Amino acid sequence: MIRPNAPLPPTAWHTIGPFFPRTFFREGDNDLTRLSAEAAPTARGEHILLRGRVLEEGGRPCVNAVLEAWQADAAGRFRHPLDPGWREADPDFLGWGRAWTDAEGAYSFRTVMPGGYADPAGPRAPHVDLAVLASGIMRRLVTTVFFPDFPDANEADPVLRAVPEGLRHLLVARPDGRSEGLRAFRFDLLLRGAPDAETPFFVD
Amino acid sequence: MTRRDPPDLFAPYDESAQPAVPIEGYANTFRRNPARPPIPRPYTRTARTGPLDLSPKLKPGDDNLAVIAPGRIALGQLIHVSGRVLDEDGRGVPGAVVELWQANAAGRYFNPLDTRDAPLDPNFVGNGRTLTDREGRYAFFTIKPGAYPVPDSGRWWRPPHVHVSILGPSTLSRLVTQMYFSGEPLNAHDRLLNSLPDAAARPRLLARQIPPQEVEGEWLAFSWDIVLRGRHATPPAP
Ligand SMILES: [Fe+2]
Repeated sequence: MIRPNAPLPPTAWHTIGPFFPRTFFREGDNDLTRLSAEAAPTARGEHILLRGRVLEEGGRPCVNAVLEAWQADAAGRFRHPLDPGWREADPDFLGWGRAWTDAEGAYSFRTVMPGGYADPAGPRAPHVDLAVLASGIMRRLVTTVFFPDFPDANEADPVLRAVPEGLRHLLVARPDGRSEGLRAFRFDLLLRGAPDAETPFFVD
Repeated sequence: MTRRDPPDLFAPYDESAQPAVPIEGYANTFRRNPARPPIPRPYTRTARTGPLDLSPKLKPGDDNLAVIAPGRIALGQLIHVSGRVLDEDGRGVPGAVVELWQANAAGRYFNPLDTRDAPLDPNFVGNGRTLTDREGRYAFFTIKPGAYPVPDSGRWWRPPHVHVSILGPSTLSRLVTQMYFSGEPLNAHDRLLNSLPDAAARPRLLARQIPPQEVEGEWLAFSWDIVLRGRHATPPAP
């Protein structure tokens, strides 16, 4: 049934509610560098950690939030047919992961430093897209993490440029030392707060 | 109007058909939703693509919530739920991961965070994960979930519902929602279902009961189709 002139309305979103099953989380779900927990991690790119906290109004930890990450491989390619270069995409890199927050609201991903790429909308700086799901969030919240290594590319990025200038720094992760032999970056999310502190989220 | 026709078309959601927040009696809808309106952004390749094969990672294959082990059958009314995951053009979405979770027949979740004084069923966990087939079809067996009251909400009861999460072909087609059962009296009072401003959008979350004479088995059967955002969104197999 193809109805090119009468698209079906998309099904409405709802919250995950308070009881998203803990059994859905398995070891390695928050590791973007491998296709599965059993697979070897990709050999391409710089492996990094991306970690931080999810906070709700008043700066309290947002417990049991689910974060979903999606990003390009180290060369800026996606293993998806909408990427013209998808055949050259890293076959050992999944680029997707899911993390969940603990009692402090803390989360962590292991991934590779993404590559930038040329998009019809403009040159994309290296970035990781993050979606937040939690009880009370009726539709996922989407934001994008940029890296302090690439100030010039960040300045030209068409998505970061859509953010009011004074808020752009909120979307750039901060260096957070080293762990497990890897460079770590810190990205905190404030779901609701003062205008100069609340994390900018995008139209999904 | 000339329109460049890319192979995929994603438009922002129609706000009238999506939940409005905050919701009375649900404090987290106040604390966790941004005060600033979401910022418009171009949909670049990152948003339009997504992981095409999550099977190795998420290991679907658990589509019978009603039986946790041979001979260990959950209490409650055995039901079969089936339907199709479609894109906005009505094309089936193959290979989508469908995650399900729900309360037991007494309205209690097998989750340490659900501390309500209702019985747990030792034969019911209530989680599953399955994959759509080539035509976008999904199906699972479970038991009809019970209703449950929302704490500190002024006697708001959630009607029977199944939580559903779908990982489709694009991050823009990601969907988390809840399936309700048509004909349930509590539906009319549910603050989540009724948070959709457009009343016409609400019935799309209701599963339809298939007449028992059309069901070949000793269970009640329900049908529910899910539409993911995106036109021409079903990617060819890589
Ligand atoms: Fe629920």
